[in-house]
Amino acid sequence: MSPVRSLAGLGRPSLLVALLFSLIAIVAFIAAGRSGRRDLSEAGKRALYATFGFTALATISLITALLAHDFSLSYVANYTSRSLSVPYTISALWGGMEGSLLFWTTLLTGFSALAIARAPARSSRLVGGAGAVLMGIAGFFLFMVAFPGNPFAQVAGDVPIDGNGLNPLLQSPGMIIHPPLLYTGFVGFSIPFAFAIGALFTKRLDDSWFTATRQWTLFAWTALSVGIVLGGAWAYTELGWGGYWAWDPVENASFMPWLTATAFLHSVVIQEKRRMLKVWNVTLIVLTYAFAVFGTFLTRSGLLSSIHTFSEGPIGKYFLPFLALLLIGGLGMVAYRLDALRSENQLDALISRESAFIANNVLFVAAAFTVLLGTIYPIIAEVFSGIRLSVGPPFYNAIFTPIGLAIIGLTGIGPLISWRRMSKGTFWRMIRVPLAAGGLTVLILGLGGLSSPGALLSFALCVFTATAIVGEFMRGSRVYRRRDNVGAFTALNRTIARNRRRYGGYIVHLGVLLIVIGFAGNAFKVERRADMAPGDTLDIAAYTLTYEGARAATTPEKEITEAQIAVGRGDDDLGTIRPQRNLHLAQGQWQSEVAIRTNPIEDLYVVVTGFDTDGSAVIRTFVNPLTWWIWAGAAVMLAGMLVIMSGRAPVIATAAQRAPAKKQPAVAG
Amino acid sequence: MKRVAWMTFLLLALTAPAMAQSPEDLANDISNKVISPFCPGVTLHDCPSPSALDMRDRIEGYARQGMDEAAIMERLEAEYGPSIRAEPSSEGAGILVWILPSVAVLTGGVLAWWLVRRWSSRRPPQTTTSPQATVELSASERQRLDAELGRLRKES
Repeated sequence: MSPVRSLAGLGRPSLLVALLFSLIAIVAFIAAGRSGRRDLSEAGKRALYATFGFTALATISLITALLAHDFSLSYVANYTSRSLSVPYTISALWGGMEGSLLFWTTLLTGFSALAIARAPARSSRLVGGAGAVLMGIAGFFLFMVAFPGNPFAQVAGDVPIDGNGLNPLLQSPGMIIHPPLLYTGFVGFSIPFAFAIGALFTKRLDDSWFTATRQWTLFAWTALSVGIVLGGAWAYTELGWGGYWAWDPVENASFMPWLTATAFLHSVVIQEKRRMLKVWNVTLIVLTYAFAVFGTFLTRSGLLSSIHTFSEGPIGKYFLPFLALLLIGGLGMVAYRLDALRSENQLDALISRESAFIANNVLFVAAAFTVLLGTIYPIIAEVFSGIRLSVGPPFYNAIFTPIGLAIIGLTGIGPLISWRRMSKGTFWRMIRVPLAAGGLTVLILGLGGLSSPGALLSFALCVFTATAIVGEFMRGSRVYRRRDNVGAFTALNRTIARNRRRYGGYIVHLGVLLIVIGFAGNAFKVERRADMAPGDTLDIAAYTLTYEGARAATTPEKEITEAQIAVGRGDDDLGTIRPQRNLHLAQGQWQSEVAIRTNPIEDLYVVVTGFDTDGSAVIRTFVNPLTWWIWAGAAVMLAGMLVIMSGRAPVIATAAQRAPAKKQPAVAG
Repeated sequence: MKRVAWMTFLLLALTAPAMAQSPEDLANDISNKVISPFCPGVTLHDCPSPSALDMRDRIEGYARQGMDEAAIMERLEAEYGPSIRAEPSSEGAGILVWILPSVAVLTGGVLAWWLVRRWSSRRPPQTTTSPQATVELSASERQRLDAELGRLRKES
């Protein structure tokens, strides 16, 4: 008997009340947006808080039902079992389609409440517009969970004694964190989207919409980035194919909003500094949110096949009109307000940081377009030509390698150029050291025997960009060392503290470079597969693996068979690794647990794909060079984002900054 | 430096030894270029199904018989249809997916270049005090700005 009592009975009524409050909030916010009346805005806020309260109550009801093993709910019976541990029982909230939609809706209403509560009180019209958009989105999702995707639906017939349990692949610590982070990212982008549309709707097109939501954008981008990396880590440790990214449609669905959001994070700086690219920035945030919703649609429509998708449900058909409304409505509003969105400044020169940012934006958006095209092309091709095609990793790798390398190059060039203008001579003086470092890398690695042109170019560009960025830190620190007569570390600290946004951004870029180094290591991956009897050995790269036999154990959830594999490298004994092949009893499903021996140089990755009755095992082994740097790079990126978010809000361009350019110093920020 | 870099590339390209692939390596390579008929949307290499392992063994068998990559791919395509290729063909129905990304990059690049040139060749605006260009600072923002300016003056 579970100590928790199911409150499932409260679930659906709470959702219906929340839906009602969201409708009230929409009316109040629209009226506030039109009239600017503060009392209406306050009424909208109260209705919004109530919407959140009742949605949260519904979520709590479902969690209690999960914990109480209330198998009268088909959701609980489908995704949990009595033997499932408490953390995974709670994570079943987002393990199924209906629960994940409820979770999404709760995050949306919670984030909306926070964003609207923290919005500047003086801008009632903007709050009204943004609140109406947010509650419109919330109303759609509440309708979805209250009707076609109701997680509180009862089982047909007798209540089962036990449930089906959670998919074994989802029973991983990474899966407790990865989906909520992705959802946080997706939902987080609804805040800048709503404020942008609210600003267009109420014609409050100064900078208040993006300054009010700057932290939200950074927060959503960070959550999405970490979520994507954790998804890669989950695939690496759970799926047993030795990789972390498969260009699967659902992986792509999380990557598309990330690409356009990254473009936005860069181009919005131009709007802040130069009051340019207003149309572009609003368009980018509309696209980002549309991509986020598109991802939700893809996973729930049954349109594309993926290991990540939920089973085909009745709700996919509702998403398409919603998505069309977001896109047509959003871009239509941009077109309608085109006159009010005109740039207030012009570019001063071709060689300027603005130009580098624009080039960066072109590449990011082209990358997003490529991912979209590759994801939906099989459907388009089949509809128009009747031929079934696949668009898989080789296509994406072929297209993304040049785009990615160009972006890395621009990441290095960007910090070297000042805003507004820079002479060619100064530009050459700034770039020659990073260029020399990149060239030297090619020379050293080439002479050292590295013959892959792609890997050579990747390493060279990483060194070029890293040198440019480190140079920025050194130039900044030098000022403090000279002026304050302090040590290098203190000077570096002061440099970062003085402009957290800029230097935090550089730290993020350094993290990206580490990730690229990890990706480049993939070119040197080695793989071997062998059917091994006890005592057999397998040589791979510098390692020798000796299969010593298998050991069996049983837990309430699974039957475990564990291979004992001794690892040696030359004369060194590196110990024993123990990959497993387990039968999950509730689902009758086999799953391999990978054994990984990791260090910054390479990962030894071993997976058992099957055991024979004679005790032999099919062992698949990979040596993955430099993979460690991907996770290290992600940690550095996160650190950089935390530095940025700890900084102050940007100071909007002043009249002096908007004035015609005077000659800028070489090292301009 | 540029010349040195190009010469290094050329040297490497000319001197790189032609590495003969083992049947296992060739099978691994091909399994990365083939969509598994047993796992939706996943390459044969990444598919954990036992049937996928059998198919990989079959490909390795073809390689041991002396078939090269093109011959093996053709054989698989004849058996499973064009959707077995993870990389769509650059002819027929698959052509657009290869062309459009380059078109997007080129169009975006040309458009950006044209805009940047257009913007940078214009004279700067005569007035910079249009109502929209004016930023109204709140009392707290004004206070913070003054404090910052004061601190900057003190520092300099």
